[in-house]
Amino acid sequence: MNLKHINFIVLAIILIAGVATFRGAKGDSMMQLFIGIATTISYILWGMMYHWFEGDLHTKVVIEYLLVGAIAVVLLLTVLWT
Amino acid sequence: MEFPAVLGYATDIRVDALLTATNVQRSALGLTSLTLNTTLSQAAALKAQDMFTSNYWAHTSPAGKSPWFFFNQAGYKYTIAGENLAKNFSTSSGVVEAWMASPTHKDNIVKSGYRDVGFAVVNGILNGEETTLVVQMFGATNSPIASIPVETSAVAPKPVELPAFIEEKSLGDQTSKVTEVPIVTESETIQTVSAPKSAFFAVFEQPKLNISTITRYVTFIFLGLLIVILALDGLIVSKKRIARVAGHNVAHILFFSAILVAISVVSRGTLL
Repeated sequence: MNLKHINFIVLAIILIAGVATFRGAKGDSMMQLFIGIATTISYILWGMMYHWFEGDLHTKVVIEYLLVGAIAVVLLLTVLWT
Repeated sequence: MEFPAVLGYATDIRVDALLTATNVQRSALGLTSLTLNTTLSQAAALKAQDMFTSNYWAHTSPAGKSPWFFFNQAGYKYTIAGENLAKNFSTSSGVVEAWMASPTHKDNIVKSGYRDVGFAVVNGILNGEETTLVVQMFGATNSPIASIPVETSAVAPKPVELPAFIEEKSLGDQTSKVTEVPIVTESETIQTVSAPKSAFFAVFEQPKLNISTITRYVTFIFLGLLIVILALDGLIVSKKRIARVAGHNVAHILFFSAILVAISVVSRGTLL
């Protein structure tokens, strides 16, 4: 098992834990938003770590992960507050 | 002549369905069914009315009125009591399912000491937005349970007969008519409480376009498109062996898929 596999196992754990806790907080929109933001931040940090290990961490990559995270948070906000 | 709303939140919450769903949960655990108590329903209606009037979403009002105040005000002499609140759910089953998924609310539903239950389902404006409130009040007047919540230690005023002011009416009428409800306390002084003569037993709204459903579909389509675009982009880059500095498409697809799954479980309703 190489580093890439380990990285994706970590990502899977982050995402599964995020979705599971999000489901567990059903009925509490604030908590769901908090979990969504926490999962997004974890994903962005995971992205930084992954590309740092791969040796291709660049400002463009950081911006890409930040934008992906922003899209996710905006969509969560939209669904949670309508 | 009334026209159906074009854009709104589809809602179908009824007291009889709430009672049935609550008792189904109790029966599944071998507990006795709760009886719908008119006085408790009056207490629930008074609580709902107070929440709209004082504009709060809490068990205790800004003026310090606890749920037990409304039990006393309606004249329900409890030995054990409890309250569940919900707002903005679409269906009766959705409300009870959400309560059952929350340990503290479930405790109320499956507490063996309760004998009676009362409900109020009311539509109104809370914090500036259209809100469907569900108030569920539990109680027993002669419970064999020894452990009584701290809040229930307050002495209930002498129960009095209240005029029946709860009646089913069509939606959109709840703020227009009021009736005076006299409340007699132990000192025999009479207070009057204005209670809206409204749809306390059910809220039914069927707009042509449901905002929640539209928002969800638009979000799903947007996320689906993003996933497809990322997949195609990854495929083209891999096939043409293009070297570029970019994020990992598979990771983005996994992340957006997780967001898609999370959004699919979002319900508009909130518990307290």
